[in-house]
Amino acid sequence: MQENYLAKWLNGELSETELAEFKASAEYASYQKLKEVTSTLKAPDFDMDQALAHLKEERIGTAPKVITLNPFKNFLKVAAVIAILLAGSYFYVNTLNETVSTEYAQRTEVTLPDASEIFLNAESQVSYSKKNWDKQRDVKLKGEAFFKVSKGKKFTVSTDQGTVAVLGTQFNVENRQNFFEVTCFEGLVSVTYQGMETKLPAGTSFMVINGEIVESPMPQGNAPAWMSNESSFERIPLKYVLAELERQFNVKVTTQNVNTEINFTGTFNNTDLDMALKSISTPSQIKYRVEGDNVLFYAGNTP
Amino acid sequence: MSNVCEDHIFSSVFKAHSKTVFNYIFYKFGNEEKAHDAVQEAFVKLWENCAKVSPDKAKSFVYTVANNLYLNVIKAEKVRMKYADTTNDRSHESPEFLMEEKEYKQKLEDALNALPENQRTTFLLNRVDGKKYAEIAEMEGVSVKAIEKRMHLALKSLREHIDGI
Repeated sequence: MQENYLAKWLNGELSETELAEFKASAEYASYQKLKEVTSTLKAPDFDMDQALAHLKEERIGTAPKVITLNPFKNFLKVAAVIAILLAGSYFYVNTLNETVSTEYAQRTEVTLPDASEIFLNAESQVSYSKKNWDKQRDVKLKGEAFFKVSKGKKFTVSTDQGTVAVLGTQFNVENRQNFFEVTCFEGLVSVTYQGMETKLPAGTSFMVINGEIVESPMPQGNAPAWMSNESSFERIPLKYVLAELERQFNVKVTTQNVNTEINFTGTFNNTDLDMALKSISTPSQIKYRVEGDNVLFYAGNTP
Repeated sequence: MSNVCEDHIFSSVFKAHSKTVFNYIFYKFGNEEKAHDAVQEAFVKLWENCAKVSPDKAKSFVYTVANNLYLNVIKAEKVRMKYADTTNDRSHESPEFLMEEKEYKQKLEDALNALPENQRTTFLLNRVDGKKYAEIAEMEGVSVKAIEKRMHLALKSLREHIDGI
């Protein structure tokens, strides 16, 4: 008997022999009865005219109205999205920090909302939140800056090396690669370095070179030397001096046969490159050559 | 070119297929109300898309809409069928025969409800609506061979159920 023979039988597609074979089988009578009874089956009544009238009156009749509303809906969607974006960006911009930065051979001054002042040395950046300033006097610093802080709540300078906290005073923070120095000129400054807090009274400084806390000399004057266009060093490895020279004059410094680890004590002028180069080379007994923006320092006995 | 958007074409499509759409959904789920809704829904969709659907595609369009409408949404209920009016013949039959007939129909209803949804729908579309296997295959989106298989299995299960095998 072929596949699906019951379906074929119902459809009258069986061959003579197949039909004879099927009729001879025990279950044929049952199938025959099933065929007869199911042919009298009826589905529930369906009033086609009423369904069509209903369709035309109630459903299709109202459909165009829905379509005319669509453009307005789209307008509302767009308006809602724009409103959300505007509100979102307003809040986002409000929480953004103010950032001031300087390039090589550049210097700038920032006045904070409470009249505290920040003097930014070359290649440095400060950022703070203008909106939350009343609640939190917190400044993030990269590079070097001199702070004149108005009396008030705690004023914090965060750097990636250490944190400086004060109430109201004048101090300088230098945060360069492998070099961190805080100098207090007035009042009392608290420096936290690697979880350790140090109190700096006026006229003292705190210095970390290559991760080591170094005894530092007494600062002179009541503002850092760079505020009067000089860079002053006392027993500082030459490489940091040269790095400062690069920042102040926007030049590229290279050395040849020069030990940059030896300490340098002295001052160079931040406005006159020629004078600054002499100030560095003469006490260190090295020679220099200038080619455009490049400065080469070399040992005295090499050409 | 004729268009389903034209009222007389739309009405003729409705007259040709609404009853089958109704039965089709009823065989699937055994719910008359849902079957009525499916007819309304399918033809409203056809009306809304009348510009895109050509008259010869209208038939499969309405079956597809009706079928998708309740896809995985409602649970099948008992399918309650009626029988063509044969009271005139019946009055001559003996009470025993009528009793047996009633029992048989009860068994048949149970057996139909025990069938898988696709077998029941296919079987009833063929037996009640007289739809050809090829037509059902088009509605269900399967091959004619698959429809024959369903018919064969449906007949087999029905007989086994009724004969108590």
